[in-house]
Amino acid sequence: MTEKFHAELNSLKDETIGMAQCAREMLDDSVKALVAQDCVLAQSVVAKKKRIRDQTINLEERAYMLIALNQPMAKDMRVIACILKMITAAERIGRYGKDIANMIERLKDEPDFAEPLPVLHMAELVTAMIDDAITAFKSENLDPIREFSPRDDTVDTLWHSIFRETLTFMMENPTTITRSTYFIMVARYLERSGDHACKMAENIYYMITGERMEIK
Amino acid sequence: MSDTPIISGHNLNLWYNDTHALQSISIAIREKRVTALIGPSGCGKSTLLRCFNRLNDLIDHVKITGEITFGDMNIHAPGTDVVHLRKRIGMVFQKPNPFPKSIYDNIAYGPRVHGTKEKKELDRIVEKSLRDAALWEEVRDRLADSALGLSGGQQQRLCIARTLAVGPEVILMDEPCSALDPIATAKIENLIEILKKNYTVIIVTHNMQQAARVSDYTGFMYLGKLVEFGETRQIFEHPSETLTENYITGRFG
Repeated sequence: MTEKFHAELNSLKDETIGMAQCAREMLDDSVKALVAQDCVLAQSVVAKKKRIRDQTINLEERAYMLIALNQPMAKDMRVIACILKMITAAERIGRYGKDIANMIERLKDEPDFAEPLPVLHMAELVTAMIDDAITAFKSENLDPIREFSPRDDTVDTLWHSIFRETLTFMMENPTTITRSTYFIMVARYLERSGDHACKMAENIYYMITGERMEIK
Repeated sequence: MSDTPIISGHNLNLWYNDTHALQSISIAIREKRVTALIGPSGCGKSTLLRCFNRLNDLIDHVKITGEITFGDMNIHAPGTDVVHLRKRIGMVFQKPNPFPKSIYDNIAYGPRVHGTKEKKELDRIVEKSLRDAALWEEVRDRLADSALGLSGGQQQRLCIARTLAVGPEVILMDEPCSALDPIATAKIENLIEILKKNYTVIIVTHNMQQAARVSDYTGFMYLGKLVEFGETRQIFEHPSETLTENYITGRFG
């Protein structure tokens, strides 16, 4: 029975990695689509929403089943707890990707006001954090997530900078308010995705060490 | 009170003939706490439990070295009154073992042996012990009936009541639920939670979930050694020893 349990646990872990990678791609592609005004890429992101929703439910139910049937303890219990937190965070990241992708069609006819480069840079930082969280989860190695606190601070700083800069555009030219508001929302979604990557890292730390760690 | 050791074992070794069954065990049992001993079959957990009230004395060819202190007393010191020791450290076994007597006489047996003769006092002890063992309401109208007519779970609570009747400070439980159904098991587990307000409980169990549910401290034993001892939550959430981790996650045993 324990062999079957551990085989299912390993499979659950692998599929969680696949799901988190899918969510990360959705976020990355949505920002690329935004910068390039690529409606086709944006639609492909929106189409993945159902897939990650179905994966979340599937993985969650199988994790509950493992708990109910095997009463896991120690590391096994922590891996399952981490999986449940990882899929929740990954689903949120994927949904932010979908929300950004949905804006692209609406922004098509709005007047442009600035280069979206700061948002692109922010997206690079956040997706790198998600990548590192996934690597740490997969390898059970803490090194990739050790510097998450300063990395999250950088993302937060960028978010505040984009917010202030965009406000000035709105004040200078009210015709840009619609686009600017969307722009602020994109930056906010990216900042929240960074927070979800931090939550992943905190749970991975607990999974590996059994100790709690908070990224402030 | 709570974190004071009531029983301490120091460098305890036990041999059955040439078999070294307990190897250099040092352990501190906290007062009015539940301590669980877990480990695979034959690891020595029942042997260690039986050391605490010198029940191993009854087995031939047993040799014990090291020291066990109960309060200020070295239980192996010459002149130790073993009957009095077993009154203070009671025991409940795997299979319920009521005497073939009435429910009342089962409980009154110990106090009578220890000199209580007065009917009124015996009545008081019987009621209090049955109440403390959460059995009073189920048997109050049939105290004169044979104890052998009770269900397995009721018989086990009767045995706990019988232990309580002589006023112990520590209760040793050797797999007390392994012969019981899940409902009777839940009742015993609830009872252990209540008992720890007034007694120190040491329980040997092969059921790790039960150890996690009922105990405050857990010791993991393997091949006669106490591999790890600590707070139950720590042992089951993140044990320090790989051997403990492998056992409680079902990778061996």
